[in-house]
Amino acid sequence: MHIPDGYLSPQTYVPLYGASFAFWAIALRKLKSELSVKHIPYLAMAAAFSFIIQMFNIPIPGGTTGHAVGAGIAALLLGPWTAVIAVSVALIIQAIVFGDGGITAIGANCFNMAVVMPFVSYWAFKLIKGKSDSAKRLYAAGFFAGYIGLSLSAIVTAVEFGIQPLIASASDGRPLYAPYPLSVAVPVMALEHLLLFGIIEGVITAMLLKYFIKHEPEVVYAIQGDRQ
Amino acid sequence: MSFIESGIEHLGKVIKTGYVQWESASENGFFQRLDARIKVLFLIFFIVIVSLKRELLPEIAIAFFVFGLTFASRLNILNFYGRVLFLGFVFGFLIALPSAFNVITKGDIILPLIHFSKPYDLWIYHIPATIGITGEGISVVAMLTLRVINSVSLSFLVLYTTPFADIIRALKVLKVPDAVLMIITLTYKYIFIFAKTIEDMYLAKKSRTASGVSSKDARRWVAGRIAFMFKKSRQRCEDVFNAMIARGFSDTVMLYGFKKMNKLDAAAGFALFSAGIIFLWI
Repeated sequence: MHIPDGYLSPQTYVPLYGASFAFWAIALRKLKSELSVKHIPYLAMAAAFSFIIQMFNIPIPGGTTGHAVGAGIAALLLGPWTAVIAVSVALIIQAIVFGDGGITAIGANCFNMAVVMPFVSYWAFKLIKGKSDSAKRLYAAGFFAGYIGLSLSAIVTAVEFGIQPLIASASDGRPLYAPYPLSVAVPVMALEHLLLFGIIEGVITAMLLKYFIKHEPEVVYAIQGDRQ
Repeated sequence: MSFIESGIEHLGKVIKTGYVQWESASENGFFQRLDARIKVLFLIFFIVIVSLKRELLPEIAIAFFVFGLTFASRLNILNFYGRVLFLGFVFGFLIALPSAFNVITKGDIILPLIHFSKPYDLWIYHIPATIGITGEGISVVAMLTLRVINSVSLSFLVLYTTPFADIIRALKVLKVPDAVLMIITLTYKYIFIFAKTIEDMYLAKKSRTASGVSSKDARRWVAGRIAFMFKKSRQRCEDVFNAMIARGFSDTVMLYGFKKMNKLDAAAGFALFSAGIIFLWI
């Protein structure tokens, strides 16, 4: 999911930086007005938490281990706007310090994983949960929040890859950036996320949500309005 | 490898990365002596140049140039390029490899691999009678691999020669607000503090585990630890906020500025900028 440098043309990564900037600006203004001076430590700790979720390896059926992207559960616990900043900061540190994702692709990676994924996960949760308070419905909503959020984010990433041969090719037709057309990039990314990674993300999101709802429901942002 | 071992290994890598960077940034090499603002502007300028280049030759020239700077900065070449080439292989070569075939990149086949009696059309996909590697495909794979290697080596060159706090502070030249820089700096510090806490949790779990742990119990344990870290991060937020208030923090964040650039910074900045212009031109 982390796009490295060299796969996106400037005509793609520059507008995606712009889109991410717009969301960062709105999120910062919103959170600053809600939290006042506390927004700095709050967002820093939220970002550190978003980063460390990925450090937990979780056993998954089949005998292997995997980790979540965590943007879905971050949106459910902290709210989608906080997740925008928290996951973005985590992605920026991953790109600069660990080489996970490119520097030119920071805008694109943040748009895909820190904007699309938290909002889609949050809305999917709200939509599936509805007004129901049943535990099964809540966990199902948690699973689909993670599943749909990651899958849609992967499809958006695939579209960004897939349009490269259309917008940036050499005079001899040779692709200059990501070489796979939409007809290859979208099905490949969609299938692997719909059939494998999305399920892992969904299971981890539901599992964490279950734990929080059982032990500390008051910290789950996504159900706050329903309980007040 | 169990989830405990893989967790410890993952965390160990994260903590080690932080220490290695801190250690190499304190060496007395060429890049370490430069002002962080010059290095950040150099990084952005060169990464954009790398992304704009359309031919292999300039990318190869940039790779040699970065190698020279790495050498002059007295970095451990084997460790540095071991990491760079690994990332280049995984994120560049392996991902791009299928595009070497004529089913993705059209062109003259230089290495035929599979022959069918006739070409096939399946929905929107065309499968030619001969599948093989094309010259154009090899050029695409080489270009993407080199771009990833160059971008990663440029980032690591700056990262390994500059304390992280200085890199973030240097972003002030790009007009990034101080509050955002402070959020990133705090996050970075707490990532390592939390990583150490999680590593201790895994080690404690490992030392208490005599036989295997069922997947269900393991998942429950991990969920509990993530919840604990969530609580801990909220508690830390309160602690940090109280500490800020106790030190008289009001709504204005002001990070310390940089000292004036010296002649070495100006000369190096000019030389690096000139080199960038040459790479843009060739």
